[in-house]
Amino acid sequence: MKKKLDQYQKMLMVIIIIYSVFVALKNPQFLKVQTVFDIIKTSSTTMIVAFGLLVVMISGGIDVSFMAIALFGSYTSLYTMIKTGINNLAFAFALSAFIGVCLGLINALLINWLKLPPFIITLGTQNLFHGIMTTFISDKSFGSGVLPTCLHQFGQGTLFKIYTENGSAGLTVSLIPVLIAGILTYLILYKTMLGRGIVAIGNNEESARRAGFNPFIIRLFVYGYSGALAGMMGIVYAAQVNALYPNKMVGDELMIVAAVVIGGTKITGGQGKIFGSVLGVLIIYLLNSTLILIGLSSSWNNLFVGAILVIAVAVTSYQERVKNRNHLIFTE
Amino acid sequence: MDKIKKILGKDLELSILVGITLVVLIAAAAAFGGSMYSGRNIQSMAFQIPEFGFFALAMMLSNMVGGIDLSIIANANTVAIFTAYILNGTWSFGTEGAARVLLAVTAAIITSLAFGVFNGFIIAKTSAPSLIATLGTMTFIQGIGMALTGGSSVGNIDPAFAEFGKAVFLGLPVIFWIFLAASVILGVIISFTGLGRKLYLYGGNPVAARFSAINNEKMSILVFMTTGLLAGMAGLIILSRVNSAKVGYGDSYLLQTMIVCVIGGISPNGGKGKVQGVIIAIILMQVMSSAFTIMSLSPYTKKLIWGIMLIAVLGLNFAVTAYSQHKTLKQSMKNLQGALQK
Repeated sequence: MKKKLDQYQKMLMVIIIIYSVFVALKNPQFLKVQTVFDIIKTSSTTMIVAFGLLVVMISGGIDVSFMAIALFGSYTSLYTMIKTGINNLAFAFALSAFIGVCLGLINALLINWLKLPPFIITLGTQNLFHGIMTTFISDKSFGSGVLPTCLHQFGQGTLFKIYTENGSAGLTVSLIPVLIAGILTYLILYKTMLGRGIVAIGNNEESARRAGFNPFIIRLFVYGYSGALAGMMGIVYAAQVNALYPNKMVGDELMIVAAVVIGGTKITGGQGKIFGSVLGVLIIYLLNSTLILIGLSSSWNNLFVGAILVIAVAVTSYQERVKNRNHLIFTE
Repeated sequence: MDKIKKILGKDLELSILVGITLVVLIAAAAAFGGSMYSGRNIQSMAFQIPEFGFFALAMMLSNMVGGIDLSIIANANTVAIFTAYILNGTWSFGTEGAARVLLAVTAAIITSLAFGVFNGFIIAKTSAPSLIATLGTMTFIQGIGMALTGGSSVGNIDPAFAEFGKAVFLGLPVIFWIFLAASVILGVIISFTGLGRKLYLYGGNPVAARFSAINNEKMSILVFMTTGLLAGMAGLIILSRVNSAKVGYGDSYLLQTMIVCVIGGISPNGGKGKVQGVIIAIILMQVMSSAFTIMSLSPYTKKLIWGIMLIAVLGLNFAVTAYSQHKTLKQSMKNLQGALQK
């Protein structure tokens, strides 16, 4: 991903660096390797779904059902594994991703059929998926004792360890799915005709249609892809928490939407960068885990995230508006 | 017969809605009998409708201009927290009794208007999509409440204010009368004034509205200001009913308000819908939630039912629109053929 950074991403980088220096000056604890690795570990699950959401948002849609999909996929596949005694990590990922694709396709079909704002439709399916799972499959929690052992190993696994005087710090294995998802998203968006089609229907669906893209197929792919990544994320999350709950994750969607928007993605579609989303997720998790270090309680988290989001949205929309007005384009 | 058909056909969606509501009301009577329509249950429903109703009216207004306001619930909770702090004496500035209640209500109205104007200002002046702008303000407003309270609930409020939530006038709760008055005022403004016409035009096609001498920016600030005020009213009602305020109360209302708007015939794309439809939908929703309470369904099952309902109603609306368009097209083709044969 050696692309030239644009102005906006540079600004985000500067904000992250200034904030980190500020935290480090205030509390030297921050400079430990352990802290950095912890932030990477907790943000890794979010990163995976953020890539899926990024693709959806570039195509001009939005998806708030992905957390329900992640829960549905991971819960169902792990439940099956507990009941049948299968102990295979690849099986868990494959089944969960497959369920994710199916649910994502349902979203795409509904959006294409009803021609209504995707936000409302996916808000409906979010509740629908969660309701179906808890009503028809099971709504019990499972502790670490009954979960497959491969999951436990995956959650605790480290790529390498760094030994310091106060113990060791390991980089989590969860980074591998993040890297795979990131590279895959990059290849799809920039190296395939499909990816160009995603950007095209995000900019202007009618023009894209006339240029020979099929919006229906693209939409199926986009929501299916988001669903697949959500399914994978569910397994990574369950492995990190090392337990299976029927009510976790759902409800955190809007925070991830916020992260992707802070990363410079246009909600009306056609614009968005992978690295920007990574920075957006990092900013949110940096705030999340360092507010305590600078002497504020974690209750202040929403205030800062909200302020950053409002400013990011206002700045990007205002630039767009000035550009449009100069070309006498009126969108509202 | 033709006359009835004409009246029904004039507003097909509203007629269908009234029909469905009647069916649900009768079905509820058949299934639960006395426990559903006892005086006590009707009164408890009348106590529950206003807080949800104000949210629904706020969501309706923002949907009518083709936007959405996600910040209503955060707004209501934070306003309730401010008010609770004044009412329990933390920020009362030495006022007592009636003066303190007056100060609290004034502060609530001012803060809710301020939140609304903040939304409207961002949406109008930077052309930000309302979905994402209000997502930001929602997180921000929630953050204010969270930073003030640290997540715990603020209680111990002036008992005089709590009485207001329990007061009954002519057999119905006072808060219900307030809700009724607010919806009548809103309905009259939307249906019978020039402002209402402008609202429909702006919602239906904002670009056309801009070039028809409608001040889009003023309209959008006005709409989101009103939305904020309605949300603040809901916050006051919640405070007077629950006697405490806390971040995160009523998070599930967001989906329910959306369902009510869609059932009530408000198009999420803007420019369509009436207050009457939403009021009927609110009653339908309240009867259903009452029935769920009597059946003691789990929250998960409720979630499933609300999800199915939203998708099903959207699908039904789509089918009805397609059907009526098809019919109009057929009719005009017939007329055309008739004219050609002559």
